[in-house]
Amino acid sequence: MSEKNHILEVKNLQVSYHTYAGEVKAVRGVNFELNTGEALAIVGESGCGKSVTAKTIMGLIKGPAGEVKKGSEILYKGENVLNYDKKQWQAYKGGECAIIFQDALASLNPTMRVGKQIMENLMVHKHMSKKEAQKEAVEMLRLVGIPEPEKRVKQYPHQFSGGMRQRVMIAIAFACDPKLLICDEPTTALDVTIQGQILDIIKDLQKRNNTSVIMITHDLGVVANVAQEIAVMYSGVIVERGKCEDIFYRPRHPYTWALIQSVPRLDLKNKQELASIPGTPPDLLNPPAGCPFSTRCKYCMGICKEQMPEITDFGDGHTAACWLHHPMAPKVEMPERKGGAE
Amino acid sequence: MLTPDKFKIVGYTQEEANKIDRPTISYWQDAWRRLKKNPVAMVSLVVLCFLVIMVIIGPHIRGYDYITMNVAEKNQGSSAKYWFGTDYLGRDLFSRIWVGARASILIALVATALKLIVGTLYGAAMAHFGGWVDDILMRIIEVLNSLPNLLITILIMMVLGNNMFALLVALSITAWCSTARQVRGMIKQLKETEYVYAAEVLGAKPLHIIIKHYVPNMLSILILNASTAIPQFIFTEAGLSFLGIGLTAPEISLGVLISQGQKTLDFYPSQLVYPCVVLCVIVMAFNLLGDGLRDALDPRLRQ
Amino acid sequence: MAKYLIRRFCELVLTIFLIASATFFLLEAVPGDPLSERADKLPVQSREILYKRYGLDKPMMERYVLTMTRMCKGDFGESFVYAGQTVGGLIHDRLPVSARLGLQQMILGVTVGLLLGIVAATKRGTAIDYMVVGLSVLLISIPHLIFGLMLQKIFAGTLRWFPTIGWPAGKDLWLGGWEYTVLPTLTGCFSYIASYARLLKTSMLDVVNQDYVLTAESKGLSKGAIIRKHILRNSFIPVMTQLPMSVGMCITGSFFIESIYSIPGIGQYYVTAVNNQDLSIVLGETVLLSLLYIIILFITDILYVVVDPRIAMPGQEH
Repeated sequence: MSEKNHILEVKNLQVSYHTYAGEVKAVRGVNFELNTGEALAIVGESGCGKSVTAKTIMGLIKGPAGEVKKGSEILYKGENVLNYDKKQWQAYKGGECAIIFQDALASLNPTMRVGKQIMENLMVHKHMSKKEAQKEAVEMLRLVGIPEPEKRVKQYPHQFSGGMRQRVMIAIAFACDPKLLICDEPTTALDVTIQGQILDIIKDLQKRNNTSVIMITHDLGVVANVAQEIAVMYSGVIVERGKCEDIFYRPRHPYTWALIQSVPRLDLKNKQELASIPGTPPDLLNPPAGCPFSTRCKYCMGICKEQMPEITDFGDGHTAACWLHHPMAPKVEMPERKGGAE
Repeated sequence: MLTPDKFKIVGYTQEEANKIDRPTISYWQDAWRRLKKNPVAMVSLVVLCFLVIMVIIGPHIRGYDYITMNVAEKNQGSSAKYWFGTDYLGRDLFSRIWVGARASILIALVATALKLIVGTLYGAAMAHFGGWVDDILMRIIEVLNSLPNLLITILIMMVLGNNMFALLVALSITAWCSTARQVRGMIKQLKETEYVYAAEVLGAKPLHIIIKHYVPNMLSILILNASTAIPQFIFTEAGLSFLGIGLTAPEISLGVLISQGQKTLDFYPSQLVYPCVVLCVIVMAFNLLGDGLRDALDPRLRQ
Repeated sequence: MAKYLIRRFCELVLTIFLIASATFFLLEAVPGDPLSERADKLPVQSREILYKRYGLDKPMMERYVLTMTRMCKGDFGESFVYAGQTVGGLIHDRLPVSARLGLQQMILGVTVGLLLGIVAATKRGTAIDYMVVGLSVLLISIPHLIFGLMLQKIFAGTLRWFPTIGWPAGKDLWLGGWEYTVLPTLTGCFSYIASYARLLKTSMLDVVNQDYVLTAESKGLSKGAIIRKHILRNSFIPVMTQLPMSVGMCITGSFFIESIYSIPGIGQYYVTAVNNQDLSIVLGETVLLSLLYIIILFITDILYVVVDPRIAMPGQEH
């Protein structure tokens, strides 16, 4: 894959939050690339830094509490957005890059008609007149599958159902045909039946506009459906990265193993208890010196607690950061699934 | 560096996996910690402590009685003999101000206590009984609230006369309404929350639930209520006494001193300035401490 | 809507009735009777005539019924102390004075307060913010009373820029004699400045942390547009709930200020009546002021139903 195909490259991204208790290192050196027109999923449990990563790419980390460390780079079309000036940021946000949040009710202004919230975008980035924007807003609502859009544009967010609100969010995000879309857990707050619909809409629009997508989620089911590549994040770092099939069928990191095992499956015959990962992630106030997963890892070795593991490349963009792949380490295979009567 | 023995699988221990680095601290410890970090609030606390000590020992420092008149030395300015000067009857202002401040603070404290006690009981009754009892009790609050507060206070003073008891009744007669509403809202809300429900389902004793869940929530409401009520009462007392509706001479409070000071304002302004300054310092210290408490007790700010 | 209005109106009438009754019986409990000072010097016969004139010869319950019926007809009674002085006439003469004073204070105070609040919230953590916070604590902690006396002493007494006491009357009642109104207005507006600056600042900081502000930022709107269109409108909701209380309070008179500057308003007269034990005036004024206060609260309540932010916001183009 040639370098030119990367619409976004994140290099050594480090973000910290300054709290009363001290500096919380939420993101500690994250690297990934996103190919144009493709979708990358960032998977991990709550508090692993995935949402912070998303907000940083969107330029939503605010001082004085939040700080993007020096040396971090976010290259959008080859240019570091962290060096943008005010004007460039404004053109980039909403115009080039858009974001969909998890909680649509909280993310929509309760005292502004939804039509106006879509129009705002159009008027700023496409320089439309009020009338044109209004027409376009109706079109956008129609596009995301909201019935009677002419009537709905004049309503307030609280008059919409959960799924409809998320559709509005999608309409806002896609209003200016962004090249890059970040979805921060877009389906987490929704009913399972609605989740599929929302993902389908995002996928359709992505194809239509050739948008590149970063899908942030903790739900591996969502990932398989949407993404070509997956990055597994744990406690502020990416522990494994690769093509969708590689991660699902040939995972290399014990954390990925545990994640995959904890997905509930209907095809298992035995009534077995659902696998879970014991314990809690380390506190990012004082991140451990070694592998962050070492405190919960069945295969933890002495070295794991002392040193950050090196990144091992398995080819075709599949990498994992784990000492198990060091030549000196014992050979360990992914254990069979619990209740596995395959 | 990398030796083979470092590559032996040791696994994890349960303890390690569940280890939480941050020490767990209770709500109150956390609030106190945050209050301590707020310099303004701490200074106010120190000032308040100083004021409390002064209203206790202040009148005795100079050895002058606050009622003994010395007509030969009336209307004096500040001097080494009379730190704050003397009033139109030659009484030592320094002693008088601390006695007056003592009365003002006491009135405010007692009125606040009345407000909190009545409000809590009333609010708890509303939340506990619910239904038509709640409706009627709420109506009573609404009627009381549809009169400007000061009118009721003045009316009560008029009926009961200018004395300490009347003043306390007059100050607290409408003040408890807001406390009652908050307490009622808090209890009703807590009743619905899942963790209280869970505690009930798990068979926790009612007393345990009250101590564990209701009291902490209640206390923070009450503390905040008190911190806004105390300066308010000090204000109102001073105002009423100034208008001649509150306490009147020979009883003394900061309000009485201010109204006496105003009479000689043109010739001896210091007689007005000293009680005013003391009043402002007291109120400001209470306000700033209240602000600090509000920040410290707000669970949303917990980090 | 009509049903709601009718219900609220019935409640209003009932509340006023309760207040009037409660006040009547409260005042019955005042020791001594209001005429004794005047009447004691008179011969027995004229004393009886005097008592009869004010209806004080009748038993309490009868007077209660009489008073209430008179009030229903709009007659709120006559002064015991100053013959011929009626409550209706008093309100007619003095309400405009208090209302102008109150409105001037409120308009000035709320405007300045809101502006300061916006500045403090947008410049959070800067010297300006700390100055506003400090100023508002200072203004909240110094009672009207002291402000009034201070301003009067400095600007009227020492500098002689403004008259010490008094208030415009006659044709200047509403729009003239500004020099008389400057000091009282300033005195009263400080507490509005302090409370509204704090209120709006807290509310804005609350709104700034809402997710929809993040959404607005992610649209690439300018900072000004975000503040104007997304933050301000939502932060004004608590201000809107506070405002009617302020309007109600401001019209019912500023007791302390009117007393300091000898302004012939309702508040001052109320205090005089209380000190003179002029019970009929106290009763009438209490009922009328509460009526006014309740009506203002009632109107704003209806306004809320009309402009409830979750249903439709004011100032929205259709």
